[in-house]
Amino acid sequence: MQLITKGAEADIYITKWNDYKAILKIRKTKNYRNPILDSNLRKQRTIKESQTISKVKLYGIPAPLVYFVNLKKSFIIMQHIPGKPIHDLSDSKIVFLSKQMGNLVGLMHKNGIMHGDLTTSNFILFKNKVYVIDFGLSQKTTKPEDHAVDLRLIKEILNSAHATIMKQAWKNFLVGYKSVVGTSKFLRITNLVLEIESRGRYATVV
Amino acid sequence: MIGLGIESTAHTFSCAVIEKNGKKGKILSDVREIYRPPKGEGIHPREASRHHIENSPTVLSDCLKEAKITIKDLDIISYAAGPGLGPCLRVGAVVARSLASYYDIPIYPVNHAIGHIELGKLLTGAKNPLVLLVSGGHTMLLAFLNKQWRVFGETLDITLGQLLDQFGRSIGLASPCGRNIEELAKTSSKYVTLPYSVKGNDVSYSGLLSATKSIVQNSKADACFSLQETAFAMVSEAVERALSFTRKKELLIVGGVAANKRLSEMLKNVCKRHGCKFFISPQKFAGDCGSQICWTGLLENQVKKGVSLENTFVTQSWRLDSVKINY
Repeated sequence: MQLITKGAEADIYITKWNDYKAILKIRKTKNYRNPILDSNLRKQRTIKESQTISKVKLYGIPAPLVYFVNLKKSFIIMQHIPGKPIHDLSDSKIVFLSKQMGNLVGLMHKNGIMHGDLTTSNFILFKNKVYVIDFGLSQKTTKPEDHAVDLRLIKEILNSAHATIMKQAWKNFLVGYKSVVGTSKFLRITNLVLEIESRGRYATVV
Repeated sequence: MIGLGIESTAHTFSCAVIEKNGKKGKILSDVREIYRPPKGEGIHPREASRHHIENSPTVLSDCLKEAKITIKDLDIISYAAGPGLGPCLRVGAVVARSLASYYDIPIYPVNHAIGHIELGKLLTGAKNPLVLLVSGGHTMLLAFLNKQWRVFGETLDITLGQLLDQFGRSIGLASPCGRNIEELAKTSSKYVTLPYSVKGNDVSYSGLLSATKSIVQNSKADACFSLQETAFAMVSEAVERALSFTRKKELLIVGGVAANKRLSEMLKNVCKRHGCKFFISPQKFAGDCGSQICWTGLLENQVKKGVSLENTFVTQSWRLDSVKINY
């Protein structure tokens, strides 16, 4: 098995599943964490991830197929998407694809799912289709606040990692998002995003 | 080039003198007095500012004496202009303005949080780090890009320092409570499950605070242990996420909470996992001090002249990611 990335949470290997090239995502023990906390987190997230990946596909969101789950060892074997993370694409591509990312996030929210880790590394472009990955922090929730937290995170990422194209990318993202969730939910959520930002440390003049 | 830096954003009043030669800085003196509120209480801004006023003359003269210089040897004066508590900020600003105008020395308002980072870089030699700023005022993950520090993750509500202090005060400890909580935590190894809230690269601590308060009646030590384990694991995970997202090969930890041994042990381990270099501010300069202000002022001096007296502002809310950095 070949290690391809050491992610924040899990190690990603390339493997085979019934002759198909596949990904093995394993959440290994982190020995800096308390063992009880560590095993809780690894188990919970493996369950969450495998459940949500399967579910989002029902709503038309491209995501890898889950082949196998081992809870004891906290690993998932899933379909390999041989594309490129949006994060690594050219600026103009990122701006262009932002609308599609907004669309996909809108679809998740409309169906009561919060992704929980919306970064440009968690969208993969493959054959002109954008796939969503990494559902370890996802949650079933229809609370507007939770959906707003999702948007705030991707906004933070655009603003930091993609600072030069932030304005255009964020605008396109919102266009895509709005087209799925509709105007009233769109306004509600984007206002909440501003509210969460204003709660941030030293965000506004006292 | 010799600078004087004045820090007075919260509980610490401090003056420091640094001599700068090219890219090198040598701290000639760093003197401080810390306001200590009564046990179980937090900082009272008026009382803290009174403490600063009463202590400012001795801190200033001790600092010059220790550096073996007089005011006339100073090339610039910098002061912490924010973020912080209004009444406290004003004390430092008044001292800085008086000296600057009487002795005609250029004056520089400095962002306190940038100060933590710049001093951390000077003292550790980190070149291009992901920075974890953990203190009473901040819990932020930052990386430098296009002349600005960009936020890659932060707390959505209270900071790690506030979490420890507010919990500590609720069990009757004196603020700052970090060290006492660390000592108490060492006496326990019983983990009680507490809410763990990581949202992408961000963390949220307010739920954890309430939940820890509710388990304290059984054992203070267990509560402290579980609180530290949970809170530090959260911030470590946020660091891991930010490291793998930014692909930085250095981590620098600055701010008062950096003094906590358990936290630095966990983060050292994170760095090992990601093959990244670990830098931490020396304990003496992790918390608030005049040196951080002084050094940042000296850096700004490379690219701009001081500001005029009427522009020597103080501001309670001043996010470090809004500061343009040209040096």
